[in-house]
Amino acid sequence: MAFRKRALHLALAAALTGTAALTGCAKNEGSSSSPSPGSSAPPASSASEEAGAGFALGEQPLEFSFYGHYDWYTMPPWGEDLATKWIKENKKVNVVPVSSGGNAKQKMSTMIVSGELPDVIWMERGADVEKLRSEGMLVPFDDYLDKYPNLKKWAGESTLDMLRSPDGKIYQFPNWYTTQPNGNSGYLVNKKIYEELGSPSLETTDDLYAYLRQVKESYPDVVPFEVGQGAEGIDILTSAFAENRPYLYSSLHMLAVPSGDRLTSVFADPVFRETLQLANKLYREKLMTQDAFTQKLEQVEQKVVTGKIAVYAASSPTEFGSKGNAALSSEDPSAGYIIVWPIHKAGLDRNKIFPGDYKQLGWNVSVITKAAKDPEAIFAFLDWFTGPEGQRTIMWGPEGLYWEGTDDEEAPLFTDKFTSDPQGRDELMNSTVNFQWNGNTVYVDRSKTKFESTLPPEKRNWETRWQTEITWKTQYNTTEFVNLAPAGDSDEGIISQSVIEIYEKAKAKAVIGAKSEDEVLAVLDQAEKDAQKAGYDRLLEYKTNKWRDNLKMLNP
Amino acid sequence: MDISGRRKNETAYAKPGPARRFLKQWDIQLMALPAMLFVFVFSYIPMYGVLTAFQDYSLFRGFLGSPWVGFKHFEAFFHAPVFWDVMRNTLVISSLKLLIGFPAPILLALMLNEVRSRIFKRTVQTISYLPHFLSWVIVAGFVSSLLSTDNGSLNLLLQKLNWIEEPINFLSMPEYFWSILVATGVWKEIGFASIVYLAAIAGVDPHLYEAASIDGAGKPRQMFSITLPSIVPVVVVFLILAIGNLLNAGFEDILLLASNPILRDVSDVIDTYVYRIGIENSRYSYATAAGLFKAVISVGLLAGANYWARRSGNSLW
Amino acid sequence: MKLSTGDRVFVAAIYIALAIVGFTAFYPFWNAAVVSFNSGADTLKGGITFWPRAFTLENYRVVFEDARLIDGFVISILRTLVGTACSIAATAVFAYGMTKKELIGRKAYMVACIVTMYFSGGLIPSYLLIRELGLMNSFWVMVVPGLISVWNMIVFRTFFAGLPAGLEESAKIDGCSNWGILVRIVLPLSGPVLATLSLFTAVYHWNDWFAPSIYITNADLLPIQTKLQQILNSNIMHEQLAQMDSSASSHMGRMRSVTTKSLSMATMMVATVPILCVYPFVQKYFVKGVLIGSLKE
Repeated sequence: MAFRKRALHLALAAALTGTAALTGCAKNEGSSSSPSPGSSAPPASSASEEAGAGFALGEQPLEFSFYGHYDWYTMPPWGEDLATKWIKENKKVNVVPVSSGGNAKQKMSTMIVSGELPDVIWMERGADVEKLRSEGMLVPFDDYLDKYPNLKKWAGESTLDMLRSPDGKIYQFPNWYTTQPNGNSGYLVNKKIYEELGSPSLETTDDLYAYLRQVKESYPDVVPFEVGQGAEGIDILTSAFAENRPYLYSSLHMLAVPSGDRLTSVFADPVFRETLQLANKLYREKLMTQDAFTQKLEQVEQKVVTGKIAVYAASSPTEFGSKGNAALSSEDPSAGYIIVWPIHKAGLDRNKIFPGDYKQLGWNVSVITKAAKDPEAIFAFLDWFTGPEGQRTIMWGPEGLYWEGTDDEEAPLFTDKFTSDPQGRDELMNSTVNFQWNGNTVYVDRSKTKFESTLPPEKRNWETRWQTEITWKTQYNTTEFVNLAPAGDSDEGIISQSVIEIYEKAKAKAVIGAKSEDEVLAVLDQAEKDAQKAGYDRLLEYKTNKWRDNLKMLNP
Repeated sequence: MDISGRRKNETAYAKPGPARRFLKQWDIQLMALPAMLFVFVFSYIPMYGVLTAFQDYSLFRGFLGSPWVGFKHFEAFFHAPVFWDVMRNTLVISSLKLLIGFPAPILLALMLNEVRSRIFKRTVQTISYLPHFLSWVIVAGFVSSLLSTDNGSLNLLLQKLNWIEEPINFLSMPEYFWSILVATGVWKEIGFASIVYLAAIAGVDPHLYEAASIDGAGKPRQMFSITLPSIVPVVVVFLILAIGNLLNAGFEDILLLASNPILRDVSDVIDTYVYRIGIENSRYSYATAAGLFKAVISVGLLAGANYWARRSGNSLW
Repeated sequence: MKLSTGDRVFVAAIYIALAIVGFTAFYPFWNAAVVSFNSGADTLKGGITFWPRAFTLENYRVVFEDARLIDGFVISILRTLVGTACSIAATAVFAYGMTKKELIGRKAYMVACIVTMYFSGGLIPSYLLIRELGLMNSFWVMVVPGLISVWNMIVFRTFFAGLPAGLEESAKIDGCSNWGILVRIVLPLSGPVLATLSLFTAVYHWNDWFAPSIYITNADLLPIQTKLQQILNSNIMHEQLAQMDSSASSHMGRMRSVTTKSLSMATMMVATVPILCVYPFVQKYFVKGVLIGSLKE
């Protein structure tokens, strides 16, 4: 059987060298030789060479491939809805989708190893972008920024500076960036129950506790305090115990509490400890969702929509809240939901309580890869897309349908059809929601509120009303804390993963496992010990340094 | 069935040299060799990927460009503080699944075999395999609303029967988790897994039952002394494969049913742990090392099971 | 056949047990079907059990909104038929060869096959291989790599080995070749196992959405499962968004009468009902005595 063995060796060797050739070239010279799927863009040199003029969108055709790096993201076909059809016809832009197929991580790996990157990747800020950048796969925007007006104008200098990579250049085009506070985080209150119980004061944590007890006595089948999926409401509650303290600090996303000029352990944070003690008390006295850590989102939704909760704290309670408000008030005009001013611990200033936070950089970014034949043309398009005309078109469709003309601030003037045909409008917005890659928060919000303010109060949108009255006023700017997370495969990343595990377990144990408030503290002390053993100090050091870098960029 | 008897003539082949013998049996080699070539191309050529367990593999550098690091990732895996907990959970959960989940479909098949009414039989058969097609997300949704503390059907039932006073938080209590997991798994796969045993039972000679009932053997006797022995070869082969799979305690089911971190002490198995630590943080080599460790142990278990089964004459090789 | 009292009790117990198994298996599926025909907003109120309360086809309308779903359906059926037929044929032949004790290298082949059940190089080497073989974006990428299933081979082999030895011997005396025996004697007697493994393989081909999502970028070639997965995924988008950035979620939020739950139920029904219909046909082959009848011939 010796000959078979030799043959096997041979074939194996051949296979290895074959793949070696492949993987070797993947590093990046590949990008020029292997065109990305569907990017038979304009004649390559044309636009970028004539640097002074820039790319005139709409005059030359532009085609590029677009990949959304999320399991759940599927780009709809371009040009089949009203908005993108208009863009395709009038701006001569065609976007070819590259689907993640529900497997973003693996899809991306295969694209990297085969050297077949798409022209544009839409993804989270942070470690992944930085990896692509440091391997030289991305195109910097610095040369284009001054040539195209919108991003620079709407995002502002400090946001752009925060987007810079360690080499000082900008590679990321932000999405839903903003210069003004926004967000929905807060406390939703069941109006009917509240009024039936005599509309008691609901300002301090003591008020809240008393109210929840009252609810439990009078409404046995109602969950007094709904905390949502994964007990998110407990996070929100931390904001009540200190001024100027967004819950972000002690949430999974940061796990570091600023104290002076350093970031410190979350397990030792008095605010976090006090919050968990209260949560534990609420759990033991059955004033809080008993399924807090196990329920699925649909169970939360069902409770909110059917009015089976008295108070609901969440980072976006308006989502189920507006559905619930519509459902409840249609059956009984006195029923529905209201949002209350954030709860605070007695003695604190209620105007310095921030149950939510926002970041100037917004949510995620688009990057242009070196596979793109004409990156400047793509940038020109993205810049147009984030500008007033692009935003109007993708949010509310082409001119002449739901809006006609603009005011002096370029906000669209909505037509009667906008209010009279909510169904068609929703359908349009549904069909374009997956194209909102470069959302311009300030422009869109301003246009929306301008319009709402012209309506009589009863016609105003429930969600917009509470946003302008409460939630936008009570969100904290946490831009200085972005990008604190280390790369997953770095030493700090490994520590971070261990600390997250310790945190998740400790939180669940403290809330639903502990039999007394002292036991809560014991659980947290043990977690602190375990975390230190896992190297938490080193992680905090890393995060502190990142934070200081951010501060330097924000306040040069 | 006398297996040793039917193979007597094969010693006749043993005389000429190997090459001659090989050519002489070209017809049966033609059945096996093309398939083996196929296995070689699609399974063995890509297998160099397991070596990335000994590298700090980087997508950008490729297989040849990534640095070799020896057993670094294996050491990290073995020295993880939760390693022994994870191993224990893996073995306990999969042993429970084996102990209950393995015989359950056999029992179902045996019971279906006793049903005379064809309509009833086919209906139950078809219905019992439905849950296999429900995704774990949907199943977990059902389980969590069934076991929920507020208005969960099970709690309501137990309260009505006055067995409990306060609702039990089933999905947050470590002591219930293994039972819930195993029960859900059995329920989901029992019908689908029983199909192959039904196929095996279809091969039983009906005359055997007639003879037995003339001898006065009752239904239960027939089930255990005719039907069951006839499907033993199939059962043994599946048992060997199941033992080889002991380190695969489950993944999606655990991920979705053990959403409360408080359960992690009892719910975390190799696959869920590696998923959180390795895949989610793009530590490819770490995940590969854990996978390789699992594969080595699995093949060892399989070989052990096969050795044991050889005595019954139903081994894989 | 007369039954004794003991047998009666025994049989009755079995019927009861089976009825319980049947009901617990049936109810969740039925409930899923009911929810898929109920208005999403109404389902949210809870209490939907055996019958829809606010009947609607809206959920299905949303699923079928994408016209290309029909193409996906055709691709899926083709893939399932071709993939199952090819794989079962190739694997059955392989398995029959492996039953021959005189086969040189039999043990090595077996061990080599079993190793592949546990050791795999992972996605990236496979991807590079498929690419080198020119199978990317081809219908055959859904058929060829899965042609030989080791698991199926083992099951086939076990069943083939259980066939009465006398049949083969007499055929051999009649001058039948090994291939002749396989085609004329072994396969015709293997109805149940052929049916079973065909079902398993068909289910695998029908359900597999992962491989196409990696190897096929041409939307016209995607099977229905991959497309349904995409529909489902983009519908959970909003849920995902809410946890990422509240500004993005407030802008990208949408109001629909369809909820994630009702849509996922409808999607699941579309995805599973066609393959569910296969099983009743398979059961036809589970008839006892096939073997004996042919023995007497």
